Amino acid sequence: MKKKILIITAVIGLSPLLYSFCGFYVSKADGGLKNKTSQVILVREGNRNVITMYNDFKGDTKDFAMVVPVPVVLKKSDIHVVDPSIFKRLNDYSAPRLVEYYDQNPCYESNLDQVLAGKVAGVQLNEVAVVGYDAKRKDLGVKIEAKYLVGEYDILILSAKESNGLKEWLTGNGYKIPTGAEEVLDPYIKSNLKFFVVKVNENEKKKLNNNFLRPIQIKFNSPKFMLPIRLGMANADGDQDLIVYAFTAKGRVECTNYRNVDMPTGKNIPLFVQKNFSAFYSNLFTHQWENENKNMSMLEYAWDVSPQNFMKCDPCVAEAPNQQDLVQAGVFWLKKDWTDYSDTEDDNDDYIVSNNVYFSRLHFRYNRQSFPQDLAFQVTPNKENFQARYIITHPATGDLSCEAGKRYLQDLKQRRRNELKQLTALTGKDISTWQDEVADNNDEISNEEVVYSTLLKESKENNSGSENNGSGLLLLSLAAIGGAGLMKWKNII
Amino acid sequence: MVVSKQWDARYFQLAFQVIFLSYGLLFLHWSADWVNYVCFIATGLLLQCACDYIIKRKLLIAVLWNGSKSVLISCLSLCLLLKTNHWDVCVLAAAVTVLGKFIFRYRGKHIFNPSALGIVAAVYFTDDAWISPGQWGSNVVLFFGIICLGLIVVTRVQKLDVSVAFLLTFAALLFARQILYLGWPMDFFIQSISTGSLLLFSFFMISDPKTAPNHPAARIIWAMSIAAVAFYLTTFKFINGAPIWVLVFAQPVVPLLDQLFKAKRFEWKTDSVNNAHPVQSLNLSIQQ
Repeated sequence: MKKKILIITAVIGLSPLLYSFCGFYVSKADGGLKNKTSQVILVREGNRNVITMYNDFKGDTKDFAMVVPVPVVLKKSDIHVVDPSIFKRLNDYSAPRLVEYYDQNPCYESNLDQVLAGKVAGVQLNEVAVVGYDAKRKDLGVKIEAKYLVGEYDILILSAKESNGLKEWLTGNGYKIPTGAEEVLDPYIKSNLKFFVVKVNENEKKKLNNNFLRPIQIKFNSPKFMLPIRLGMANADGDQDLIVYAFTAKGRVECTNYRNVDMPTGKNIPLFVQKNFSAFYSNLFTHQWENENKNMSMLEYAWDVSPQNFMKCDPCVAEAPNQQDLVQAGVFWLKKDWTDYSDTEDDNDDYIVSNNVYFSRLHFRYNRQSFPQDLAFQVTPNKENFQARYIITHPATGDLSCEAGKRYLQDLKQRRRNELKQLTALTGKDISTWQDEVADNNDEISNEEVVYSTLLKESKENNSGSENNGSGLLLLSLAAIGGAGLMKWKNII
Repeated sequence: MVVSKQWDARYFQLAFQVIFLSYGLLFLHWSADWVNYVCFIATGLLLQCACDYIIKRKLLIAVLWNGSKSVLISCLSLCLLLKTNHWDVCVLAAAVTVLGKFIFRYRGKHIFNPSALGIVAAVYFTDDAWISPGQWGSNVVLFFGIICLGLIVVTRVQKLDVSVAFLLTFAALLFARQILYLGWPMDFFIQSISTGSLLLFSFFMISDPKTAPNHPAARIIWAMSIAAVAFYLTTFKFINGAPIWVLVFAQPVVPLLDQLFKAKRFEWKTDSVNNAHPVQSLNLSIQQ
């Protein structure tokens, strides 16, 4: 059947998915603060790292503070506040996408090109309010290495000799340390990490006249390419989602201490999924995550976004980040007059030789049990593009009574059966959970035999409930067959 | 140290490598790089045949059958460990793997572990290849699976000492650092040592009897040193896949250790009378 791609519509609210992040919140009261969702931009070239952290903050918002372990004492010029819109931009650009195709009527070759506008649901900003804190301290082996006011934030960089001192210092200054945080403080202190403590300066915040917290961007040199998530688990309530947007000059970023899995992509799914694509993707992600043992890094997008590359997505669901966005995200080698590191060692023009920017979007869902270690990454030379993309196909309309039309209806019926099977396989949910969407759906075709509601009933009747849970079994049998073959071979020899 | 068993442990090794690859493709959902696999194996076999023919003047078919086990194992190691998007990089890696055996020789023994040399050369010289330490994950089932299968292979060639010395030293150093010194919880340490990549390296790469020292004491010292250096590079220099790099650089030391600790050289128990002493005959032709 001839098919024509006519439109690209879009995508997703990642709404039911949550983001999380690398520090922990310490609250002043038992405010039940939780951090569930966050997004991080990682930029890495050579030993240079730029990390931008953005958290949606839930809980009693007047008690906000955040602690992030960092490898070096940051200078004031290494800390910036950036506009949250960059996160929306990157999320919109790289979110999983739904693509629409249209079948042509085989009975008459009409060409009705339609273009629908795409729409992308972004991530909502959350309201956060904050309070100041008393800077009282006594000698607990905790040293304030630096103290800055950057944007609306008061920032302290602490070094500590031992975890009890740090804990006492934080508690003494009115911070409530979440249970479970202690077990990671000691290893961090002994690894010679500093603690980047952020709170909001109320006066500065008032001047801004906005009701959200802006992302903080830090830069530093370190051979270690990692993201500390363990502290963030301390007060986490169950599973946390983290989206990492990574930029390098070389190629994809991948996780080195957890498994890297590509999101299933290019799958044909039923037309009615369009009604609730974000629920579909949410189920899909959860199902894959459970199937993959809950401890992996999921690749959702990878693309060459260099300014000189014209095709930055295919299909595009939102405008690709431009050079200005990339610079704002921390891609420092695009900046001609880059001077922020002028006082660091080995600062020559080595890093400005390339104009290449490669983007990866990794999605983690972690909890304390499945992720005992912080996330470690490596930059690979892998420049292969990837996108999580799902396809719906509109049926041909009009008179289908000709011979070719009848064949088309047969094909369509089979295709739709396959789509329903695919939907179950991808999301792990029974098709009947889509009953409402099917009922709501204008099927665009009137033939009773091929409408989804008929096929749904049919598939329910045929559903013998066979589950494919024998992955281990299959491996075992493979090993057995291999062993048996080997024995036989041995005898022959 | 000639194996007294009736048949060749390399059959086991081949079978297990195929199982690992199938496991990765079927259950870990690796994207199957069929072109890469074909390039690795085809280049490896063809070059091996060509080299054998040039040196030994043997008929192509006979050579293919007798000489293909080792080269197949090396090529499967490449399939399991080396990642690239370019077929020419695969050809290069396989070529280095095979030619390395014929070029870098000392007293009839090849110096470098063939696949380790191929991997290091591809990663270092092309900038289009990489190793994915995270591709196996840290599944406990996999952990035991690889240990069991690895043990079978290694014990068949009686060189368990290298694998155990390496793994124990590496694990002990990690334990001392992560648990005793830094104070991480136990599961942090378990995650570090139960990665498939480390176990594959221990049981299927460093254990290669042809490129390890001949004397048991020398082997243990050698394996422990590799573990110590790999630990240092992993922990303090954050180098991914450090064991493979260290192995390649540690291999030129092997002839020296063989000089210091005299012992009988390892021979594969081959299954053909015609090919009973491949190393010696090869050696002769080189000396000519």
